[in-house]
Amino acid sequence: MSRNKAVDQAGASAPHGEALRLEGVRRVYGAEGNQVTALDGVSVSLPAGSFTAVMGPSGSGKSTLLQCAAGLDRPTGGRVFVDGAELAGDNEAALTRFRRQRIGFVFQQFNLLPTLTVMQNVTLPLKLAGRKVDRRHARAILERVGLGERLDHLPAELSGGQQQRVAIARALVTRPRVVFGDEPTGALDTRSARDVLGLLQEAVRVYGQTVVMVTHDPVAASYADSVLFLADGRIVGHQPQPTAEAVAERMTHLADEVERQRAAAGANMAGANR
Amino acid sequence: MIGLAFRSLRKRAGAFVASFLSMFLGATILMAFASMLDTANGDNVTGTAKSTLTTMASVVGGWGLLLVVFAVTSTLTLSVRQRAAEMALLKSIGATPAQLGRMIVGEAAGLAVVAALLAIAPAVLAGRALLGLLHDTHQVPGEVSYSFGPIAVAMGLGITFVSATLAALLTARRATRVRVTESLMAASTGTAKPSRKRLVFAGLFLLLALDEAIVTCTLMRDKGSDAMATSGQADILAAIGLALLSPLIMRRVTGLLAGPLRMLGATGDLAVTNMRRRTGAMAAAVTPIILFTATAVGTLFLQATENAATRAAGVAKTADQKGIETLNLVVIGMVVLFTAIMLVNTLVAATAHRRREFGQTRLAGATPRQVLGTVALESVILTVTGVACGTVAAVFTIVPFGIARKDSPTPDGSVWTYLAVVALAAVLTGATAYGATRRALRTPAVNAVMP
Ligand SMILES: Nc1ncnc2c1ncn2[C@@H]1O[C@H](COP(=O)(O)OP(=O)(O)O)[C@@H](O)[C@H]1O
Ligand SMILES: [Mg+2]
Repeated sequence: MSRNKAVDQAGASAPHGEALRLEGVRRVYGAEGNQVTALDGVSVSLPAGSFTAVMGPSGSGKSTLLQCAAGLDRPTGGRVFVDGAELAGDNEAALTRFRRQRIGFVFQQFNLLPTLTVMQNVTLPLKLAGRKVDRRHARAILERVGLGERLDHLPAELSGGQQQRVAIARALVTRPRVVFGDEPTGALDTRSARDVLGLLQEAVRVYGQTVVMVTHDPVAASYADSVLFLADGRIVGHQPQPTAEAVAERMTHLADEVERQRAAAGANMAGANR
Repeated sequence: MIGLAFRSLRKRAGAFVASFLSMFLGATILMAFASMLDTANGDNVTGTAKSTLTTMASVVGGWGLLLVVFAVTSTLTLSVRQRAAEMALLKSIGATPAQLGRMIVGEAAGLAVVAALLAIAPAVLAGRALLGLLHDTHQVPGEVSYSFGPIAVAMGLGITFVSATLAALLTARRATRVRVTESLMAASTGTAKPSRKRLVFAGLFLLLALDEAIVTCTLMRDKGSDAMATSGQADILAAIGLALLSPLIMRRVTGLLAGPLRMLGATGDLAVTNMRRRTGAMAAAVTPIILFTATAVGTLFLQATENAATRAAGVAKTADQKGIETLNLVVIGMVVLFTAIMLVNTLVAATAHRRREFGQTRLAGATPRQVLGTVALESVILTVTGVACGTVAAVFTIVPFGIARKDSPTPDGSVWTYLAVVALAAVLTGATAYGATRRALRTPAVNAVMP
């Protein structure tokens, strides 16, 4: 406890501590007898101020990894530390309070509240946390994402790319240590996707925030400082300084490899059954 | 399209439960009372017994018709609105408004036939019980025996079918007239301005209520219990008028309360924004509370005043007066039943519709308690507004009747009766909203926002 506190304070003063650590995180879905192991002992450590992309075939556990790391889901086993503090708590309210202070999340489907204006959406996390609503700060962030003129619009009046930029502003407004994105460009056209990736990159380079982003697009992954590859719930590779070509090639290999392994496992099973 | 209608009925049984329930209960009540006409046609039924039975059947039958149309319209509108996205999708892939209209009407007509057929057995039991009640209170001699015959079946099936189809046509016209993009937008925000027609009808109903009140105070003065005939419906007419105005009323209430609510922090803030943008849904939810309060308060205090006046005159109640008392209580029972179904249905549907919104709020950092707090605030405002409007509507009945019957505008009856009505409205609203929200919160936030 006291150690965590020390790390917490060190993290707050020096931007180059550890922003996220996962120790043997497991997540098993389903009831006894019909279980799916979505995460099978994942351990990673990401430094503050890093931009990491998570890639892997569909169903490899990327979303589950992000949700467990962000306190949106509770792991079946293992531990998660954000900014030096352990993510613990046995109910939704406790996890919510943990997230409010440390974590921002951007979804593929934006998840803005349809009844709230752009400005109201962005200040909502502050209000819910009972923090002082600094409208100047919120406005500055909205200007940063290029929506300074749209403060009073409703989400339905904005394009997909604009809505996602509002969502980024909302994720950044609480000044979280880590911002997670689950395919944040998945529903966007190429241009809007580039804008969004640029904003995430800026959050890291200029504002020293830590970003973890799931994507299946090698070009999107090339905006990151490093790429983690996930297959069948395990980390199977790591690539620093990724280029789109290198990532694409790796993904092709990964798909082949997983295919081979599954075929082999299937053959083993068949053999065992016989 | 009819094929689609039945597939849709089977797939989305939940959305139709309330419509079905109101048709089923409506048909049961209609047939139970219509069987009094069959009974009146029996061999040894004479004079007063015949007229008592006929009055009972026609008065309650008329009320039943009105209630069924109203309840079915409101429940169908909701189930169609809940499926706004599906409708918009069908339109975008080329379904014409006429085709959608046929789908909605087809669903309603199919439901009505099934509901009415299933209602026959309980209607026979209810009719028998009703006649038993009339025997016991000596309003109908004991030798009159019960009969459930062609009139009951024809009226039950016919009225249920016609009113359901009528309600569906009204709903379909409204649902299919909006353009595709508009309905997609409306589906996400749900802000519809009250139409001019709605305002005209509201004015009409309020004028009718006022007219009845004035007639009661002037022409019916000192005519004894007969004043009930004109004052009895004034509360319902006024309540329907106010219910039609409810979008405007909710907007005004929201405007008035915005300041104080905002001081309650994020919970109040969210409640205000929700109420602002969802006036349509709030108005739909307040409508049954208004009707419930108006009829319950109006009729209970009308009867209390009547009883007090009879007592003061020192005479015993005639068979006629007893009959009217029974009728009054039956009408209240019916209205309470139907408005309760409407209220629960409206709130459950509206809350289920908000599952995604709740999920998004939770992902933005709201604890489950904050979400519940917001819903609780909205429920309090709904109840207070509904009860206030309902009480105003009840005044249209109570005060004129008091003036006509005993020269005093203050009604008889206990303040506890009033508080009991208010408490019932509050408990129904609060418990339903709380339960439905708890249910919605059981889904993890991340799953709740999945489209
Ligand atoms: N709520 C859930 N219930 C049961 N199984 C789930 C659930 N969510 C995910 N899974 C399973 O866990 C595995 C990983 O899913 P996910 O993390 O969504 O993968 P990805 O995002 O990489 O496509 C998949 O096999 C998926 O079917
Ligand atoms: Mg995923």
